[in-house]
Amino acid sequence: MIYLITALDAEARTLVEHYRLKRDTSLPYTLYRGDNIILLVCGMGKMQAAMSVSALLGWKIPNNDDILINIGICGAPPSYSIGEVLLVHKIIDGNKHYYPDILYTHSLRETSLLCVDSPQESILNYPVDMESGGIFLAASKFFKLHQMAFIKIVSDHCEPNNVTKEGVINLIHTHLPILAQLFTTIQTIQCSNTLFSTEERMQIEVFKTHFTKSQGDALEDALSYFRLKNPTTSLRLTTTPIPDSKRERSELLESFIITLTA
Amino acid sequence: MNPSSLHSQPKAFSHLYIERKVLDHPKTHAIREKFSASHVIIIDHYKEVFNRPNQNFAAQSQSKNLILAHKEGKFLHIGSQYSDGFDHKQFFYASSVMGCLYDCDYCYLQGLYPSANTVLFVNLEDAFQELTPYLDHDTLVATSYDTDTMAIESLTHQTAQWLKFAEEHTNLHLEIRTKSANIKALKKIAPNERVTLAWTLSPQHIIDKYEHATPTLQQRLKAIQEAIAFGWKVRICIDPVIYTEDFDVLYPPLIESLFSIITPESIEQLTLGSFRLSQSHLRSLKKLRRSDIAFYPYTVRDEMATYPEPIESYILKSLLPKALQYLPRERIRTWQRQS
Repeated sequence: MIYLITALDAEARTLVEHYRLKRDTSLPYTLYRGDNIILLVCGMGKMQAAMSVSALLGWKIPNNDDILINIGICGAPPSYSIGEVLLVHKIIDGNKHYYPDILYTHSLRETSLLCVDSPQESILNYPVDMESGGIFLAASKFFKLHQMAFIKIVSDHCEPNNVTKEGVINLIHTHLPILAQLFTTIQTIQCSNTLFSTEERMQIEVFKTHFTKSQGDALEDALSYFRLKNPTTSLRLTTTPIPDSKRERSELLESFIITLTA
Repeated sequence: MNPSSLHSQPKAFSHLYIERKVLDHPKTHAIREKFSASHVIIIDHYKEVFNRPNQNFAAQSQSKNLILAHKEGKFLHIGSQYSDGFDHKQFFYASSVMGCLYDCDYCYLQGLYPSANTVLFVNLEDAFQELTPYLDHDTLVATSYDTDTMAIESLTHQTAQWLKFAEEHTNLHLEIRTKSANIKALKKIAPNERVTLAWTLSPQHIIDKYEHATPTLQQRLKAIQEAIAFGWKVRICIDPVIYTEDFDVLYPPLIESLFSIITPESIEQLTLGSFRLSQSHLRSLKKLRRSDIAFYPYTVRDEMATYPEPIESYILKSLLPKALQYLPRERIRTWQRQS
């Protein structure tokens, strides 16, 4: 699943149309959903961003192979071109510094990003936005650092009054192929550390109910050993009926663990 | 943008995180020059990157980054019970690098550190200052303890610095443990009999399976041959021995092939030791769910996880007689749990 976060409706427009996302009213925030994408319009400002992202991720808890991408416009010093796409490697939010992991190749310009409280009319050292700090703070409770990316498109040189809704839509639209490619790239580096299928997990949990907590832990270790050692071999839990006697159950488990770890 | 370029992993150290206070250190300049294409990110303290919550060790291992920092605390630490101090009066290990370029499934660093990135403390001169008061007495320093310093030597030149320092201090003994095949640093300085180069060897099958990004067995053997030819003291460590169902066809033949290439007289010692790890590090390894090594049903006693006694004994009983065919007993060191 890709979790897309934008601050503005105008930033979301092209993405909603391109991915054919449908409005979802499950949360008190502007939300769109498709087969493999959820898009949240988090609103302006870091507080709004943190609250709405927390609500979204608490509602749809992400998996190890999901990613979260914040896409939006930013103001920037003149050394950045209007329309330039930036990938953020450091977010400076007051005295807090956040570092998403960029573990893939790309050809975008990387930058630090200042997360500020209000639209900036004076030129600062770095590009500025108003949501990244809040999004990172909330999302990093649910995602690993390499599962998140912050992509900013330079809309102005700290002249926010010159930014129009049409201009924002156009900026996202122009760079849609780059964004789509980046989504794919980031997804390819995600690694799920789930060793068992849902069906196998259910069988394991049922089997574990016959044993104590520490026996269950020993069984989990043995099953993990077996799967990591034999990744393509299917898992077969014992078909022997579970005995009533505690001692016999322990013996059964012990022999099963020996088989798994042989 | 060329979309096809998006799908590859970046080169190692695609990102350099540099503490503000070491920006002007000569070593920082040299590394920035070497990695001129890398992204540079200025940080206040290495811990704000290295100790971040929610890092993924496995993902980072595929694309390691480098953090340049200033060591503020102690460089030297008392050697651990899991290691051999070789009967020296004082035994320290130096922590001038955190993290390793290599990615071995059994390595305790995975459990020790929250990050797969490498921290290089550039102010090694402070380590020498810290060590100097101890050098009235016989002292062993393991320089390659929380890392493999030889693996990263072309970047850090720390081994060369240690060798030069050891040349000047006659009570200082160094152990440089490595899996590296890069011995350039050794060729630039006269051999020192107080320095032991300790190469860890494993069968190629074990290297392929568990010692990711490390040199092959043949490359290591070639490096050992060269180091010996230059006059360096070499210890061979078949340690840790990883027990698998193929143990019998992997490890005894390793000893045979070692001594078919290297004359027994040319090495100082051979160390044999089965895999062992503290219980707390093993727990951390399990959380990563990366390798079957973490989930073997070890015996845990006194917080140390080892193979069950029959297997541990079998390993030693298989390897020791084989080693004795080439070396006298006093030149073979073995690790076995103290009962």
